[in-house]
Amino acid sequence: MRQDRSWGNRLFDLLNHTVLFLVAIVCVLPFVYVLAVSFASPAEVARGGLILWPKQWSMVSYQYIFSSDTLPRSLLVSVYITVVGTLINLAFTSLMAYPLSKPRLRGRNPILLGVLITMLFSGGMIPTYFVVNGLNLTNTLWSLMIPSAISAFNLIVLKNFFQQIPDGLEDSAKIDGCNDLGVLLRIVLPLSLPAMATFGLFYAVAHWNTFFNAILYINDNEKWPIQVMLREIVILAQSRVGDSGFDETDVQPLTIRMAVIVFATVPILLVYPFLQKHFAKGVMLGSVKG
Amino acid sequence: MNKKWMTVLVTAMAGMMAVTACGGKGGNNGIDGDGPYPLSLVINQVGEIPDPNNPIEEKIREYTDTDLRIQWIPYSAYDEKINVMIASDELPKLMKLNYTPTTISSLEAGLFWDITSQLKDYPNLTAQPQPYYDNISVNGKVYGVPLFRDMGRAIVSFRKDWLDAAGLKEPVTLDDWYEIIRYSTEEDPDKNGKRDTYGMMLDKAYNQGTASTLTRLAVSQGAPNKWGIDEQGNFYPEFESEPFFDVLKLFRRLYEEKLINQDFAVVDSSELNKVYESGRANIRISGGNGQSLQTKLEKVVPDAVIDVAPLQGPDGIRVPGESGNTGFLAIPKSTVASEEELDRVLAFVDKLLEPEMVNLINKGVEGVHYKVEGDFTVTIDAEKDAQEVKPYRDSLPQRGELYNMEKKAKGTELFNKNKQIVYNNENFIVANPALTLNSATYNERGGELEQIITDAQTKFIMGQIDEAGWKAEVEKWRKSGGDQMAAEYKASYESVK
Amino acid sequence: MRSNQAVAAAGFQGKRELRLQRRKLLLRDLVRDRWMYLMLLPGVLYFIVFKYVPMYGVTMAFQDYKPYLGFFESPWVGFKHFERFFSETHFWTLFRNTIVLALYNLIFFFPLPIVLALMLNELRRERFKRFVQTLIYIPHFVSWVVVVGIFYMLFTTENGIVNELLYRLTGEKIAFLLEKDWFRTMIVSQTIWKEVGWGTVIFLAALAGVDMQQYEAARIDGANRWRQLWHITLPAIRSTIIILLILRLGNFLDSGFEQIFLMITPTNREVSEVFDTYVYTKGMTQAQYSYSAAVGLFKSFIGLILVLGSNWLAKRFGEEGVY
Repeated sequence: MRQDRSWGNRLFDLLNHTVLFLVAIVCVLPFVYVLAVSFASPAEVARGGLILWPKQWSMVSYQYIFSSDTLPRSLLVSVYITVVGTLINLAFTSLMAYPLSKPRLRGRNPILLGVLITMLFSGGMIPTYFVVNGLNLTNTLWSLMIPSAISAFNLIVLKNFFQQIPDGLEDSAKIDGCNDLGVLLRIVLPLSLPAMATFGLFYAVAHWNTFFNAILYINDNEKWPIQVMLREIVILAQSRVGDSGFDETDVQPLTIRMAVIVFATVPILLVYPFLQKHFAKGVMLGSVKG
Repeated sequence: MNKKWMTVLVTAMAGMMAVTACGGKGGNNGIDGDGPYPLSLVINQVGEIPDPNNPIEEKIREYTDTDLRIQWIPYSAYDEKINVMIASDELPKLMKLNYTPTTISSLEAGLFWDITSQLKDYPNLTAQPQPYYDNISVNGKVYGVPLFRDMGRAIVSFRKDWLDAAGLKEPVTLDDWYEIIRYSTEEDPDKNGKRDTYGMMLDKAYNQGTASTLTRLAVSQGAPNKWGIDEQGNFYPEFESEPFFDVLKLFRRLYEEKLINQDFAVVDSSELNKVYESGRANIRISGGNGQSLQTKLEKVVPDAVIDVAPLQGPDGIRVPGESGNTGFLAIPKSTVASEEELDRVLAFVDKLLEPEMVNLINKGVEGVHYKVEGDFTVTIDAEKDAQEVKPYRDSLPQRGELYNMEKKAKGTELFNKNKQIVYNNENFIVANPALTLNSATYNERGGELEQIITDAQTKFIMGQIDEAGWKAEVEKWRKSGGDQMAAEYKASYESVK
Repeated sequence: MRSNQAVAAAGFQGKRELRLQRRKLLLRDLVRDRWMYLMLLPGVLYFIVFKYVPMYGVTMAFQDYKPYLGFFESPWVGFKHFERFFSETHFWTLFRNTIVLALYNLIFFFPLPIVLALMLNELRRERFKRFVQTLIYIPHFVSWVVVVGIFYMLFTTENGIVNELLYRLTGEKIAFLLEKDWFRTMIVSQTIWKEVGWGTVIFLAALAGVDMQQYEAARIDGANRWRQLWHITLPAIRSTIIILLILRLGNFLDSGFEQIFLMITPTNREVSEVFDTYVYTKGMTQAQYSYSAAVGLFKSFIGLILVLGSNWLAKRFGEEGVY
């Protein structure tokens, strides 16, 4: 691979590595702190100061998380809506993006404009609630997946990705007797794995972060995803102290709050490394043309 | 082609609307049938959501003969959820509302039952002090049962060990406050050879809401609580009173002499708590119990001693009165159709205030959550209590040991002292006369107007504006609607009287 | 005379024929692409049902909306809320603050994920690349409350780490969080820290689509790394950059309420108050549904103009654009 071993090149590589390494460290430090506090003993945390490696390890905070089934159950709910929801997203989005990537298609521009407008204008919370309720989706987990089946942003960018696939490949498949759906499934999607992985990630993260719609559409507490709990325990706890409504005793100790953050964030953090193999260079054309 | 499309679209939309516009639900109101009365209740989630079939909830159902179904809604979306419930007419039979202009307009529109005349039929509801009901009334009518809370919660907590060492006493005058703060900042009260302590610290909400340190201190020195009424019956804001401005000037001096934290305009109260809990700050006015600070502080500074004192000034104890509730339970007319059924719901709330229920809601189940030791009760496991009992204690009406509780909870000396001060405060309350009065200007622009003044206060303390600049900001407030607000309060006050 | 008529008739017939021809062509295309239309159907239905049916909600901006009256009974007030909004004394200050902040983000934040993605793309060692990639996207999952908390610990004048260093070096402290001159820098830095790694994800996907053979060919031609970057890599992701830029302009006036709300102080308000925070303050005492809907509608219209304008511009330069 490496052919050019000039001085300038090496200097660039060195610099590039250093800068990226530093950026990575700066990004990960706060999370290390969160992780360390969640494993530290409450006494150590009470003494204050920055903890990056606990002196006394303690699992108390995690025992708390598993002491009732609320948090583990809501984590399962989150995993479920993330997995199923993302599959629905990818199916709906690629199905719609592919036809729209063909400039020859009649009616394409009005449809794209229509999609674009939904990015800018929205009817708001209450009318949307009426639709979701009218379709009998409220109180089911479908209400967290179907009403967000396609993101206009992802659709338009995916359409753009599809557009860059050379037509020649598809034409040859058509000659082999495939219809358009077949071309999408057999040629276009396999060629677009990096894109699918990316949008899969975008959708998965969006599902994972769902909390508002869950409260709005679902009355049954047992169907609430982890973010609802996370916000209750962590974020509001912080802004609530000193507020007229609450005493300081209402707030969970820092160690527990941090443990809940870890518990609610690590699963989604693991998605990206898992998808990374699809980001390998040159997957797209090299493999087919050769 | 185009027309056809339009037709299809319009039909589809019309169909959609037809499906969605009506969510009419029939159903059994349970009043004439046998068995327990089905009662849906919407309240705030506090921490964990308990299992609906846990023993506490089962006991409530059994005792009140209802089929109680609680829907817990987190704070993060409570208002929006209520909004959607009202818009889609999917209300429960009993729900928690907050006393805000938005809810007041729904109350005025007649969405909820006016229970003013019914209250006297329920022994426990009618036994509660009238001010609690007054503070949730709209145009003199009561629309619900408050989730009670103490009205005079403000308390001074301080490091007794530091004050004793310096021969200082709990503060009464502003000079006392200054001296305590100066000493604890400059004279190294923790004897570590470093200037790393503060006598007092402020956070960015120091002048906001009912927990405002500025208001609390000013009231203790003789200022009105948010609004005052002069001899002519005119309303004037707290910041136009002499004692209030004295406190403001004290803060300015403290800031200038670096005796309070210089970053108070940005710091969050949670950051502040950390400093107090690590033993690097002395005095503060808060609404919590001094014992919780003591417990945390002890872990870091084992020989630290926290003490509490009532908020007092030259005229003795003066405490700003708070609303006395964290919301109230109201009864929608759309789900509770008849007076008969209303009676059923009110009877349920009334029963919650009977001794057996008061004990259950406050302490949980004997042997599981608490045990009896002589004349007192003791919590068995604080964590279990927080998970299983606290949600009910915080979200259902109860007045703790002030009403129908058989045995007090055992607490430390400090804990009891703090509690006693808060109970005693109720006799020294300076009420906010505008609390339940009507002002269109406030509803429309209250937030902006308040911001003019709170911003000016911060700038004045930080020395960014001088006294003339402060006066100019007050003038701006008056012109932008402040004067109008005062006039509207006066009119509203006279119409209620 | 006759011949004239004949010509006219022939012309008429020609037009009719042309129309028939067109119709035939249309029919042929529709038949040819029947699968395509079938594939479009679920998506189009989705947008109609979940996006366009609720669209009647925008009428809220022209009403005095009350939840208990609903959309059909709340009183109509025409442009009252818009008039009120445009005649606010602070309107132009808010407008300026919002635009300047958006421009700061566009200029200082938008290019960074591209640069970072290109830097990552230059890494040869796959494991190091994955290591960096995995770590830099973590901050995206940190909530704004926590980000602002971290910045407080770093930049406050009370034992903030940065200020302690500064004090040791220069003997002075800077109130980064209080002074209005630092506000925008703080906001953009936070955005960069939180979102730059996340922003690279999409460009990395675009980069993965670059044909490796092109690089090999370029190398044989003796092109160095800069030339490869300039002639192969950048053109390959150009259309993604343009699309993202156009879509970003659509919500140009959205400032990220949560972050700014947490960073506003009385001392920096003259530069930090933006539309979103102002609407919040307005609605603090009484939820002003209609007023905020009107402000939202105004922002959307500006966004629409920017999107359509930039899309038109992109197409003029021969780019693909959104549609």
